[in-house]
Amino acid sequence: MSAPGEAWTPTTVAAVQEAVREAAATRSPIRIVGRGTWLDAGWPVAADARALRLDALRGITQYTPGDLTLTALGGTPLSEITDATTAEGQWLALDPFGAADHGGTIGATFATASAGPLAHACGLPRDIALGMEVVTGDGEIVRAGGRVVKNVAGYDLTRLMTGAWGTLGIITEISVRLRARPAVDRTLAVTRAGAVESAADVAADLRGAPIAPLAAELLNPALAARLGVTATGTSVLLVRLGGNAERVASEHAAVGEIGDGAVIDSDVWRAMRQCERSYPDGAVLRWSQLAGRVSDTWRYVVQSCAGFPDALIHASLTRGVVRAILPVPDATALARMLRTDGRPSGGHAFAGGRIAERLPARLWSGEPSAVAANRLARRVRVAFDPWHVLNPGVLGEGTRDEADRHEFHGG
Amino acid sequence: MRHAMPQVAREVTPHTGSDRPSRIDDATLARALEAIVGPRGVHQHRSELAVYTSDGLPGYRKFPSLAVFPATRTQLIDVVLLLAEHAVPFVPRGAGTGLSGGALADGVVLLGLNRLRRVLSLDPHNAIAIVEPGVVNAALSRAAAPFDLYYAPDPSSQAACTIGGNVAENAGGPHCLKYGVTLNHVLGVTALLPDGEIVTLGPGATGVESTGYDLLGAFVGSEGCFGVALDVTVMLTRAPQAVRTLLADFLSMDDAARATSAIIASGILPAALEMMDGPTIRAVEASIYAAGYPADADAVLLAEVDGLAAGLDADAETIAGLCTAHGARTVRIASDPADRARLWQGRKKAFGAMGRISSHLVVQDAVIPRTQLPEVLARIREIATRHRVTVCNVFHAGDGNLHPNIGYNAYDADESARVDRAMSEIMRVCIDAGGTITGEHGVGLDKLRYMEMIFSPASLAAQCRLREVFDPTRRANPGKVVPVHSCREWTRRPA
Repeated sequence: MSAPGEAWTPTTVAAVQEAVREAAATRSPIRIVGRGTWLDAGWPVAADARALRLDALRGITQYTPGDLTLTALGGTPLSEITDATTAEGQWLALDPFGAADHGGTIGATFATASAGPLAHACGLPRDIALGMEVVTGDGEIVRAGGRVVKNVAGYDLTRLMTGAWGTLGIITEISVRLRARPAVDRTLAVTRAGAVESAADVAADLRGAPIAPLAAELLNPALAARLGVTATGTSVLLVRLGGNAERVASEHAAVGEIGDGAVIDSDVWRAMRQCERSYPDGAVLRWSQLAGRVSDTWRYVVQSCAGFPDALIHASLTRGVVRAILPVPDATALARMLRTDGRPSGGHAFAGGRIAERLPARLWSGEPSAVAANRLARRVRVAFDPWHVLNPGVLGEGTRDEADRHEFHGG
Repeated sequence: MRHAMPQVAREVTPHTGSDRPSRIDDATLARALEAIVGPRGVHQHRSELAVYTSDGLPGYRKFPSLAVFPATRTQLIDVVLLLAEHAVPFVPRGAGTGLSGGALADGVVLLGLNRLRRVLSLDPHNAIAIVEPGVVNAALSRAAAPFDLYYAPDPSSQAACTIGGNVAENAGGPHCLKYGVTLNHVLGVTALLPDGEIVTLGPGATGVESTGYDLLGAFVGSEGCFGVALDVTVMLTRAPQAVRTLLADFLSMDDAARATSAIIASGILPAALEMMDGPTIRAVEASIYAAGYPADADAVLLAEVDGLAAGLDADAETIAGLCTAHGARTVRIASDPADRARLWQGRKKAFGAMGRISSHLVVQDAVIPRTQLPEVLARIREIATRHRVTVCNVFHAGDGNLHPNIGYNAYDADESARVDRAMSEIMRVCIDAGGTITGEHGVGLDKLRYMEMIFSPASLAAQCRLREVFDPTRRANPGKVVPVHSCREWTRRPA
């Protein structure tokens, strides 16, 4: 269909299927590309992989506002969905970190299970996906789920494909759950005097307060300064409130008990999601454990990143996740930090887990892979991509494993 | 394009779909199981097994070869290892309240998990509980209540159904409109695979974000075909600050359906939005579960909003206003907990109330896009009239999850045939409206025949592949969910 080495640019699912079958026949790896926003995330894909670009497989295929569901082709940019739903007073409540202006594609967002600050109140991609069409590694067009909001018909391939980074199937179409936009959507920047180190303790206050925010993110001073939400070099808590006027007014008052809350432009969320793009060669790491221990996680991460003075750190307080965006002028320092991560240093041991989102290419080899280490996961991989052609390596799962395939498919 | 894959010869037991016939006779197996669980934990006599021949859906009757009830985790593991050793197919069962025939064992071993009912841990600070699979849904909420917490998914059978069964079916309930289904509340499962391997799925109580494939998401809703849960880690939900329950009655079902659509479109996310039609109302009001619904109404809407107290009355008033604007005769707002409980009782016991009227009941569980409610309900009425059957509609209107139920006498061949035709036509209408065949009850045996109406052979084959990841010999709950021939086609076909 096209010359070797040149990218495939299918405009139909049948063309995607044809490309995958061609690749499977010759055992040639495919690099699945949406709009190319996040290609440096994940383990490096096999270097000889041929790109399959999905940005021409684009468009909203079904949207009935009264159903609060939407179906779009995999290459549709999130911005296109935002425009269509905003016109109806609705939204796809998914605001992935690291997004470009167009938000990246919906297929890539679900393939990588990317989320952002709204995940606290509105759920992760696994909670939002209703159904999918995918092309599996053996070139079959498979549909799972549907476009209704409740569905238990058959085994749940939709959840399986969400977060699989395309290694089980290329998402060609997806149906998602929408929400009505709240009548009032207000963002507060909360500060309190002398709260730099103890700032994480606002998490406890937040839990006790009579509020149910859409999002609550704690920013370290560097990130707060970069986003222009503080002039005083302190940590800042961003709280996003949504609901009817009476409810938001009541929550606003309750936030006032935690610290000084100033109403700021909600564009800060867009700026925050995009700020890591100013560190194109940087690293992005995420630590997590129970939300009840987020203060410990915060202190641990701040300490671990002390060698990176421009580190931008933020915590999704109610989800227990602390994320650091690091400029990496010196990969050796980062390598050392990764090696010693989790060990007690300066009195702070860390019992949770770490995920790397983005790293300099040569440092990936030291990261543990959840797929490589898990027998069931390896079986899933060969079940849906027997020839290991879909984004091979992106989950650190290693190269094609004859033993896995033999075990699963027999022979 | 395709490359030949060495083919595997498979023996298939005709009625179960399991790969291999078991290599042990029932009497020998029973003795070996008794050695693990004690003589009282194994049932072999037909009179004892009769209890387990159906689930919550009368109309199917299947006898297990024997039934085994481990009382401890260790016994459960030993039982599954023994079954694996002898390649014996088995059907896991919780409380047997399912509505799809999913827990019926047709000549194979029934593995009862309802004796494993310990709450292993409850962490109020992090709102997490770890429970054995046989813990009853409502019992978990009772255990969490002292901490102002509860377990949110609330299937109507919650007084009896187990968490293990809820996980297997990805159970829903009225309040999943706002709070989500079982999938959204399960943090982890320690699964015992049919071959005896123990695997940890999901982050569980660690709170550490998962990477890699969402095997937990795949396991939830797998209807017992991927193995059994040794324990389940669930998220508990903080009790809402305030609750308002509204009951609106309508003289026209169409009006109620349109009010539902208007409420959903308004942007308010009710905790629940339930509808009952005239026949259901009258069945409830004539029963011991009478809830004070107006008996001459053609439909009632039961709406609930909860959460922060601030702004809640405004939401309740908006909903009341939308009901009135769409023709509601009266709107009642329940103020005290006793009144709320009474309004809910009629809804939760509606199926029970119908049981008073007829000996058998078919329960459907289709889901349709919410804007299609008025149209589809009208079609259902037309189908019922044409086939001379009485449909009772009691359902989760806010989700578009319909439960058109038909009471009948299964010993009347003509009536049974008419009911069967009506149900097939209703399912067709729901699918054509862009819907699906089951929203929360599962496929089991009952909806197997509809799977090919919504999934292509390639899509069904992909589901079989996922099943074979967890259960390569297809011994766990054989013959359910995916039609057996769909899987056979895949195993014959080179990859």
